[in-house]
Amino acid sequence: MKWALYERLRAATAAGTSCAVVTRIADGAQAFFDGERWEGAIDLAAAQRAAVRGMLVAGRSGMLPGEQDLFVRSYARAPRLIVVGAAHISQFLAPMATLAGFEVIVIDPRRAFASAERFPGVTLVTEWPDEALARLKLDATSAVVTLTHDPKLDDPALIAALQSPVFYIGALGSTRTHAKRVARLTEAGLGDKAARIHAPVGLDLGGRAPYEIAVSILSEVIQVRYRGEAA
Amino acid sequence: MALANAATGHGALAAPDGRAFIDNPLCGDCVEMEVNLAGSRITALAHQVKGCLLCRAAASVIGKRAVGAESEEVERISAGVSEMLEQQAPPPAGWQELSAFAPVHGHRSRYDCVRLPFRALLAALRAAGER
Repeated sequence: MKWALYERLRAATAAGTSCAVVTRIADGAQAFFDGERWEGAIDLAAAQRAAVRGMLVAGRSGMLPGEQDLFVRSYARAPRLIVVGAAHISQFLAPMATLAGFEVIVIDPRRAFASAERFPGVTLVTEWPDEALARLKLDATSAVVTLTHDPKLDDPALIAALQSPVFYIGALGSTRTHAKRVARLTEAGLGDKAARIHAPVGLDLGGRAPYEIAVSILSEVIQVRYRGEAA
Repeated sequence: MALANAATGHGALAAPDGRAFIDNPLCGDCVEMEVNLAGSRITALAHQVKGCLLCRAAASVIGKRAVGAESEEVERISAGVSEMLEQQAPPPAGWQELSAFAPVHGHRSRYDCVRLPFRALLAALRAAGER
């Protein structure tokens, strides 16, 4: 491994950013991917890069599928689920996602909702979402779900998420609510990226209760994590 | 709407005499207010608001009108805003932009959105007085 690439890997893992190293077996040449940028001695095709991203998101290492010569080593941290809005659904989603192996962070500046009594054992952040997300450094193994029902709080979170490499973005709200949201995001210059948002959020399991919606959201996050967006 | 987007007075002061940060735990709105004083007269003011339209608009009115005001006038205006919201009293004299908030009377839950920047300003003035 080249020293410069090792330094990049060390800095990324120290900062808690999930990243991957691709090695070409034939000559030992390597490339480094931090979820956003590529560097190093191998030039990969777009499809190969997408496949490496998929392996990083899933936290898998091994030969790149369909290739004889490219080995992918993922340095992935535990997947993070960042929930914006300390709502009813979040009260069920946070413990469920923790049990399912996610590091869960709930963000809500409305301190009356984001209280330790309502969220025992959950990491709570009462900053505004844009400030909190800038500090949390969204990476390729993070997912962001907005559940506040208030565009004043949801929109800054979505704007931060859309400009990051997170693997999943979901937003609570009906198709009509989402159309208005996309209009606002387009005005903010993110119209081309808004298609990344899963809305209405979650798999269509038919349930309406907060705990059922929590299951549908968690299911969709896990599905996208392993199957990618095409699923 | 125009008042909110204007964000008159948004920013921070280099060396504020008084500073206050308050939030509304029910809606998450928060206001940081900084003032400089000469005696009890406000010579400079800056605020940073994260909040709804009403909260941002009220902060803009303060940004436009409060510089040059005595602290007693701020107390009078602040009380006048509450009377306007709660009892449909006419907007306090001198700060005519406040009439834009008269329709909020019908929405009790939003009174504090308008009042939050005034509470922050009064707190900042108190902080300056304690120095």
